[in-house]
Amino acid sequence: MNLPGAGLIQGLAVTARNFVGSYFEKARMTTEQYPEERPKLPENARSFPFLVFDGDDAEAGMRCVACKICEKECPPQCILIVQDRDEAGKALKRPKVFEIDIAVCMSCQICVEVCPFDSIRMDQDYELSSFDRFAPLVLDKAKLLKSNEYYQSIHPTEAAETDARLEADRKKKEAAAAAKAAKAKPAEGAAG
Amino acid sequence: MNLLERAPIELKAWLLNLLGVFGVPDWALAILSALLIIGTVIAVFLGLFALTSVMERKILARVQNRLGPNRVGPFGLFQPVADGIKMITKEDLVPRGADPIVHFLAPVVMMVPALLVLAILPYGRDMVPVELEAGILYFFAVGAGTEVAVFMAGWGSNNKYSVLGAMRAIAQMISYEIPLVLSAIVAAMIAGSLMPSVIVAAQGGFAFGFVPQWFVFTPWGFTAGLIFYIGALAESNRSPFDLPEGESELVAGHLTEYSGFKYATFFMAEYVGMFAICGLFVTLFLGGWQAPLPFLEIIPSWCWFFGKVCFVAFTMIWVRATLPRLRIDHLLAFAWKFLLPMSFAAFLAAACWHYAGRGALGWGMSLVIVAVPYLALGTSFTRRFAVSKRTYQFSE
Amino acid sequence: MMCDFFHSLCADPVNAIGGWFVLLPAAVLLLAAAASVVLRNLIHAALCLTLSFIALGVVYLALGAEFVGFVQLLVYVGAVAMVIVFAILLTRPDELERSRSFFAGFGPAGGAAAALATLAVLLGAIFTSPTGDRPMPPAVAVPVADLGKALMGDYVVALIVIGVLLTAALVGAAVLAMEDEP
Repeated sequence: MNLPGAGLIQGLAVTARNFVGSYFEKARMTTEQYPEERPKLPENARSFPFLVFDGDDAEAGMRCVACKICEKECPPQCILIVQDRDEAGKALKRPKVFEIDIAVCMSCQICVEVCPFDSIRMDQDYELSSFDRFAPLVLDKAKLLKSNEYYQSIHPTEAAETDARLEADRKKKEAAAAAKAAKAKPAEGAAG
Repeated sequence: MNLLERAPIELKAWLLNLLGVFGVPDWALAILSALLIIGTVIAVFLGLFALTSVMERKILARVQNRLGPNRVGPFGLFQPVADGIKMITKEDLVPRGADPIVHFLAPVVMMVPALLVLAILPYGRDMVPVELEAGILYFFAVGAGTEVAVFMAGWGSNNKYSVLGAMRAIAQMISYEIPLVLSAIVAAMIAGSLMPSVIVAAQGGFAFGFVPQWFVFTPWGFTAGLIFYIGALAESNRSPFDLPEGESELVAGHLTEYSGFKYATFFMAEYVGMFAICGLFVTLFLGGWQAPLPFLEIIPSWCWFFGKVCFVAFTMIWVRATLPRLRIDHLLAFAWKFLLPMSFAAFLAAACWHYAGRGALGWGMSLVIVAVPYLALGTSFTRRFAVSKRTYQFSE
Repeated sequence: MMCDFFHSLCADPVNAIGGWFVLLPAAVLLLAAAASVVLRNLIHAALCLTLSFIALGVVYLALGAEFVGFVQLLVYVGAVAMVIVFAILLTRPDELERSRSFFAGFGPAGGAAAALATLAVLLGAIFTSPTGDRPMPPAVAVPVADLGKALMGDYVVALIVIGVLLTAALVGAAVLAMEDEP
C-alpha cells in the first residue's frame, strides 16, 4: 500500500545504509587524502617541459644541441636559448642558457613535437608552487635537466619507443661508418 | 549510582557552602547560585554547538561516502576552533544603505531567545534551572522573539534577497508554529500541567515492568511527536525546510549581508535553538531524563537527557542528509493542509484515549482517530501534486 | 497608594527589588511607546512598538501574572507584531510621506498643548479616583489550571464566541487572498 511518507522512510534507509557502510565497506570511500596519497596520473599526463640527458653527467649527456627550433615554434614564446660558444667564438652544439617560464607555458607540447633530437619532453610534476609570482617560476637549465631513467619512469611507452629509435639510428650510423671504413681501407690498400 | 546522579547539584551546594564559610553574604550566594546554573547551561550548550557543527559535517560526509573534516585535531574535532578563529577574524561588512541599528541588533535579538528558552528544560531529576508553572507557554512565548530577529535581519540589510528571504522565513515560522504548539499542548493535556517536570514525571513508570510509558509509544503521542519534530525542523530553518537560507535559492536569504562574527552569532543561535527544541521534544514525548529500561537507571538522569537530545539531533542531521529542500508553496501547504488537521486529530485521539480510561478501548480508538485522517489527507496530498494535462492559452 | 509604592521603593531598595522589576520595564514601556509615536522611520517605530509589547509582558510577569505575561509575549510579539511587520514588508513604503493632517497646521506647539491637556485629564482622573484609597486585595497566584477551568467552565460561551469570530476572520482572509479561477 502506498502509505504517505513511505518514500521518506525508504530514503532514510538508503542514507542509513550509506552511513553504516562507509565505516565497513572500503569500496565506498573513494577519497584520496592528499598529500598523504597522491593520485595515480595516466601515462600521457603532462605539466611542463624538461630536458633529457643520457648517462650520468647532465651537462655531458645533454641531448639538446641549441638548434632553437622549439624556441621559434613555442606559441607563447616562453623558451629562451643562448647557444654556447667556445673561447674562439665558434658556436658549440650545446646551449649555455636554456630557460622556460612555466608561468607562461601552456603545456601545448609543440616543443616536444618539433624537437629533432628527442631532447625536450613533458614532465608530470605539478607541485611547483612558489611564494613569488615571477623569479622562481623561470626554470633554468639545471632545473630542467633530468635523466633518461627518470623519463623512462614517467612515460615508459614513449621512452621505450624513443630509446629504440635512437638505438636503431645509432646502429645504422655505426654500420654506415663501418661500411665506409671498409670501403676506404681496400681503396687505400689498392692506392698504396 | 546515586552519587553520580546528584553530582552536579552536590557540587554546586558544596561550592556555595565553602563560599558561605568564607563570609560571603546570603544574597550574594543566591545570585552566585543562579549564575553558576546559567553559566553551566550556556557552557554545555555552546560546547554541544561546537561539537555538532563538526559532527554534522562528518555525518553528512559519511552519508555521502566521503570523509568529513579530519585535518584539524584528532578526527577533525578541533574544526570548530578553526571555524571560530575564521569567523572572528573576518571583516565585518555593513552595507552602505543598511539600517545600522537594526542590522546590528538582529543577531543579538536572535541569540537572546535561543538562550532564554534553555531555562525551563528539565536536564535531570530535580535539575530544572527555573521551575515555571507555565513552562511550555514560556518556551513558545520567548521563541516568538526569533521571528522579530529574522525580520530585523532581513529588513536591516537593505537587500531585496534579504527581504524576500525574511518574508519567507517568517511565513514558514508562523505557519509551523501552530501545529508545533498544538502538538505540545497534546502532551501537556495528558500530563495535566504545563510544567515540564510534571510532564516528564507523567511519563514515568514501566508498563508490564519493562516497557517505558513515554508518550511517543502511544498512537496519539507518536503522531503528535512526529508533528512536533517536523515543526521543530521548520522552526530552526533546517533542511528540508531551509528555503530561507538555501544558497541556491536566495543567496543566504535574510543572512545575506552578514559576515564574520555576526554570522557566527546567527549560526550559534540557530544551533542552540535547535538543541533547545530537541530538548523540549525529549521532555514532552521521549520521557525527558528517564531511562528506557529499569536496570538502565544506573546511568545518571542528566546523561540520559543529553543522550536523547544528541540522538534526536543526529536524526535531524540524518533527515538533512536525506531529503531535498521543499519549495515555499509546498512547505506552506504541508503545514496548513496536512499538519494542522493531523494535530487536531492527535488532540482528539489523546482526549479519547484519556477518557476511555487509558485501556485497550482507548488505544484502539486513538489509533483509528489518528490513522483515518492520516491516510485520507496523505493520499489526497500525494494526488494533488500529480502533473495535470497542460493547456496552452495562446498557442492554439 | 501610588505614593506609598514609590516611597517604599526609595526607602528600602534592596528588599523592594520586586518593585523595581515593575518600575523599570514600565519606564521602558513608556519610552518605547513614545518613541514609536515620535520616530520618523516606520521600521524603527514598528520595532519600538514591539519593544513596548515585550516591556508590557515583563510588567505582567513582575506583577505575578505569569500566564497573562507569557500570553502577551506569545500573542503580541509573536502574532500582532508579525502582522504589522508583514504589512510593512508587503506595502514597502520606501519614501515616507508625511501626510498633512488637519491639526498639523498648528505645528509642534499645538501638538504639545494637546498632549499636555490629555495628560492633565488622565492624571486628574487617576489621582482623584477612589480606587487608590481602597485597600489592596491580597495578591493571589492563580494557577494555570484554575484559569483553564474558568475558561472552560464559567466563561465557555465567551470562549466559543471568540473562537467563531476568529474562524470567520480566518475564512474571510482566506477568501480575500484566494485568486479567482481563470
